[in-house]
Amino acid sequence: MTENPTEANPLDPVADAPADAPTGAARDLSGARDVIVCEDVSKWYGDFQALDRVSATIREQEVVVVLGPSGSGKSTWIRCINRLEIHQEGRIVVDDVELTNDLRNIEKVRSEVGMVFQQFNLFPHLTILDNVTLAPIWVRKKPRAEAEEQAMALLERVGIPEQAAKYPGQLSGGQQQRVAIARALAMEPRIMLFDEPTSALDPEMIKEVLDVMKTLAHSGMTMMVVTHEMGFAKEVADRLIFMEGGQIVEQNTPEAFFSNPTEERTKLFLSQIL
Amino acid sequence: MSELSSTTGNLEVPYTPPPATPHLAPREWVRANLFSTPFNSVLTVMSALILATIGRGLLSFLFNPIRQWDATATNLRLLMTQAYPEEQYLRVWVCTAVILILTGLSLAVWRAGSHVPVTKVGRNLLATGAVVALMTLLAPFSASATVQWLVAAAVVAGAGETLRRGVGMRASASGAGGSDESGDQVATISTLTLIAIALGGLVASLWVVPYGHHSYLMDRTPRVLAEPGTVAMTTKLPWTIMLLIVVAATFLGRSMRDRLPTNATRATLLVAWLLAPPTLLYLVLRDPSFDMGHVLGTDLPIFGAYAIGGGLLLSWLTRPTTGEIGRIVAAVVLVVGFCTFLTPMRMIVRIDMLMLASFALAAPTFAGGPRARRRYVTGWLGVLGVSSWLITAINTPSTVDVPGDFFIGGLSLTFIVAVFTIVVSFPLGILLALARTSTMPIFRLLATWFIEFVRGVPLITILIFFSIMVPLFLPRGMELGEVAAVVIGYALFSSAYLAENVRGGLQSVTRGQHEAAEAVGMTTGQKTVFIVLPQALRVSIPPLVGHCIGVFKETSLLAIIGLFDVLYIARVVMPNQTEFMGSTRENVLFVSLIYWIFAYQMSKASMRLERRTGLGER
Repeated sequence: MTENPTEANPLDPVADAPADAPTGAARDLSGARDVIVCEDVSKWYGDFQALDRVSATIREQEVVVVLGPSGSGKSTWIRCINRLEIHQEGRIVVDDVELTNDLRNIEKVRSEVGMVFQQFNLFPHLTILDNVTLAPIWVRKKPRAEAEEQAMALLERVGIPEQAAKYPGQLSGGQQQRVAIARALAMEPRIMLFDEPTSALDPEMIKEVLDVMKTLAHSGMTMMVVTHEMGFAKEVADRLIFMEGGQIVEQNTPEAFFSNPTEERTKLFLSQIL
Repeated sequence: MSELSSTTGNLEVPYTPPPATPHLAPREWVRANLFSTPFNSVLTVMSALILATIGRGLLSFLFNPIRQWDATATNLRLLMTQAYPEEQYLRVWVCTAVILILTGLSLAVWRAGSHVPVTKVGRNLLATGAVVALMTLLAPFSASATVQWLVAAAVVAGAGETLRRGVGMRASASGAGGSDESGDQVATISTLTLIAIALGGLVASLWVVPYGHHSYLMDRTPRVLAEPGTVAMTTKLPWTIMLLIVVAATFLGRSMRDRLPTNATRATLLVAWLLAPPTLLYLVLRDPSFDMGHVLGTDLPIFGAYAIGGGLLLSWLTRPTTGEIGRIVAAVVLVVGFCTFLTPMRMIVRIDMLMLASFALAAPTFAGGPRARRRYVTGWLGVLGVSSWLITAINTPSTVDVPGDFFIGGLSLTFIVAVFTIVVSFPLGILLALARTSTMPIFRLLATWFIEFVRGVPLITILIFFSIMVPLFLPRGMELGEVAAVVIGYALFSSAYLAENVRGGLQSVTRGQHEAAEAVGMTTGQKTVFIVLPQALRVSIPPLVGHCIGVFKETSLLAIIGLFDVLYIARVVMPNQTEFMGSTRENVLFVSLIYWIFAYQMSKASMRLERRTGLGER
């Protein structure tokens, strides 16, 4: 699958883009629509300010990688976008819906935005197939047969159709994370958020998850990824955002970011990790 | 496709079996485990002496000639059903048969039971024989009795040894026959077969030893009677039929389970199990004499009104386009349901209104296409129909003529109260736990107050309050039978404790699970039903089963408010019979054996359930 990313998938929600379309700086997305707009988003935990006037815009089909040292607010920010965390100031607009306390807006946004967690968070009491079909059946009100057919296709796509009848506890970490990606894709989201998807994995399993994410990026999905995988960032991202202390310090294309950082703090960060 | 995961699986690693654990001969095992050090030897000898003393004391109590074991044998019927009339005793057997049929079918459909090696059965029989022989030597028997018991022990041990040897020899013979896997093949026997053989032995013993053939009736001379030959008195024929019924039901279930869809069969059986207690109690045991004029004039019209009105309302509420206004309407129905308690009217109207409100509140979760909506409305009609039928039956006078408040007592009453309390308090306790952990302050406050209040009050207070005080507060024309009142009070009490157990489980569900459910767009209700509760209940199985055992045993407090439960009969009623004056100790020992058997079965069931649901957990 990873050697062959052009494989057409009828279930792909955004398959209208050519699957072998280049990602990264070679792509021109200037004409695309803005799907996530953050304006001066701030958030406090008690007295600690986790997000400090974060403003950014993410376009359709764009792949944005958020970098930064731990505690810099990158996870908090990405979790604000589907309101697992509540921002206290500023605006977040996802797909033309503003996130407020209105429950209907939140449910609408959450069904448009898929999320993959660091700890996978699969439902341990359900089989892999049930994990993937539960939300389509009950939230999207799909008939069971159709949902199962779609789930099998998605499991095929992430490379583990033979595990469908097993329970999450019987799978390796990498397999679990791929199931989590399939579960998020089953809701046919327009945007995918990844919150450090490979941080809890053993080194030999990181590649299998990153390969699935690369395929997804090539298929034209709008993605926002918090990660420490610099190789992935270099290869796949259209844009890198570097955060520190709850602020966006610098954003740029991968080439410019790695070869020619403008800010002192970015240089310091890069010198520590590279 | 990419098979990236099995990088280690693809390597050709030669399989090395683990080294065989050396099998110790009995003498070596004893030396290694009981006499390994001088201190260990002293401990072993001392515990053996203590055990022997206790065993001898118990045996001299049990087999003392002054023990009145006749009292228990003669009063078995009293212990089981108290004063249930003799001429209607067939109803008790019908109920037993229905429960046994359900048991047999469930055993087959849930594929209960496992296989144990015959050698293990043989070893256990051998050990049993040895223990019996040891006990016989300890017990203060006469010479002839000692010989008889020793012979019995030798027979049991011999049977065990034969099983062990015979099977071992057959295995070695087939090994010599040249079959490759004969070394792994072990002759096994199903645990269900073993249980059937044991029960068969018990039933057969009824035909030989006449312990089940006596009965004690107050208004009859002679009061102690042997073998009158009716269904009520002689249990040997009924129990034989019961055994045949349960075995037949198991075979029936076994032959049908492969032809029927598994989930539908299981769901049907579960519904049957839920319906069985009220139906058997109020329709079979109590046998209401329906007043057809009242049924046609009042009960059916009320049912019809709720069926049509409620059906239309629910069909509208489950429409996906109804939206927010549906929730408001459901809340209005709930308020109306509570308002019905302000003015005098038929209880059934109130109950139906509250049921409709809960269905209306849950409706948005089940919203969907025409098929889902039809199924939801059918569910409402089913629940409404069954409850209307039962309420009508409860409000109709019984044809069973017995002295006292309630028509049945003894172990049956204990079971009835325990089963109803557990069945009612489970959903109530789960709701309370959810309310106490919810983010809505009113629910949280109410639930916390209720739980803390009920937990701070002794159970006896609640039982007395519900049996004596509540009828005084009820509006005119409304009656609540004493047992019903007690069950309500007991269920409220039990639900408070249950709620705390479930709350422990709810807290063990990690934040990540909540977030994952929210991130795929589930509503709070869907998240609770599909993600949180299944995990929380699994974690709380041990405390929940412990609670059920407690509920079962504490039914003995019913005696305080004047109901004849099994312990009260053993403690007070039987020792006052002129023939069996002062037989309290024997009776209480027998009743505690009954309690232990059922409590132990519950705890075994809990262990099996834990193992079963633990599958795929970690």
